[in-house]
Amino acid sequence: MNLVNVTIRVQRFNPTIEKRPRFQLFTVPRKEGMSVLDVVLHARDYQDHSLGVRFSCRMASCGSCGMKINGLPRLACYTQVAELKDDVITVQPMDNFPIIKDLVTDLEGFFEKHKSVIPNIVRSDRAEMNNPSAEYLMSPEDLKAILQFTYCIKCGLCTSSCPTVATDSLYPGPQALAQAFRYTMDVRDEGGDKRFQELDKVHGIFSCHYAGSCSAVCPKGVDPALGIQLLKRHVLSGKPPRRSGEGSRLWKAQS
Amino acid sequence: MTDMKESTLTKLQYVTAIAALVLVSFHLLMQGVLVPYSTALSFQHVLSLYRSWIDGALLEIMLVVVVAHGFNGLRIVLMEFRQARTWSTWVGRGAFLAALLAIAYGTRTVILAVTGTVS
Repeated sequence: MNLVNVTIRVQRFNPTIEKRPRFQLFTVPRKEGMSVLDVVLHARDYQDHSLGVRFSCRMASCGSCGMKINGLPRLACYTQVAELKDDVITVQPMDNFPIIKDLVTDLEGFFEKHKSVIPNIVRSDRAEMNNPSAEYLMSPEDLKAILQFTYCIKCGLCTSSCPTVATDSLYPGPQALAQAFRYTMDVRDEGGDKRFQELDKVHGIFSCHYAGSCSAVCPKGVDPALGIQLLKRHVLSGKPPRRSGEGSRLWKAQS
Repeated sequence: MTDMKESTLTKLQYVTAIAALVLVSFHLLMQGVLVPYSTALSFQHVLSLYRSWIDGALLEIMLVVVVAHGFNGLRIVLMEFRQARTWSTWVGRGAFLAALLAIAYGTRTVILAVTGTVS
């Protein structure tokens, strides 16, 4: 391993002017605690300003810097150079997304699918929603059922690794389905029936073949494959886990 | 069937999978226990099975279960090839029709054998 420099092999592709992707090598000085994003940004800042890369928080919170690093979908800011054993680090844009330029992918369709599963709490008592009479609490057990799914940062790594998304463009993908599970299982939610209509159709939730790659690549430790399998059970029975907000009524704080 | 919800078709797929496992295991076990495998597939032995109404009914049930499971599985595989409403519609209808034809032809064979038309 070269302790002075880091060599990075970046896939370059501008679909508006190029026909096929190519690779470009950059060598940047190695620093302690350097992430792959630091290497890419160094290459962009000091060697080639035209290198396209998307990033924001640099602390695995925003989910902007998802890319394929040495063949695996990962967050560039969350991947230390030191943990990669190869002498040359290969970075490519995420699979299953259209490429805008170099490492930047188009996430518009991804967010559309996210929206399609109604990723918010739905309730029938609109007046109560607008002017709540009390604070609605969840029991620790109810929270535990959905907590890991609330950690999703919508980086798209799970969708990028999913073999079903690769072949079926209408399949919602693990991120959207895991969020459908998260909100359906929320005791305050009453939108399960509406959500099930969206999921219970061709190219819907039953297209998941349980490859499990989504769970293997999630940088936040979410297990979308688990959520999808549990949600399948509820869709098969045709009944959301809780109806009419009974759980939330149980835990409505006394005012 | 083509307008069924995916959850209903998935349930059908699960139920037929379990039923096929049980029925085919029973079928193979009976053939292995009652007669050696070398003679189990001889024409006269197979025909003798069909002569019994119970065996005939079992074979008919196995036929329906395996055909339903197989063609629904094929439909699921074909659905992933292309994502278009017309493709989905015609794959659904085609799989349903093909399953019906397979069951009709198999049932004809069972009936002919059970009633003694084939000898």
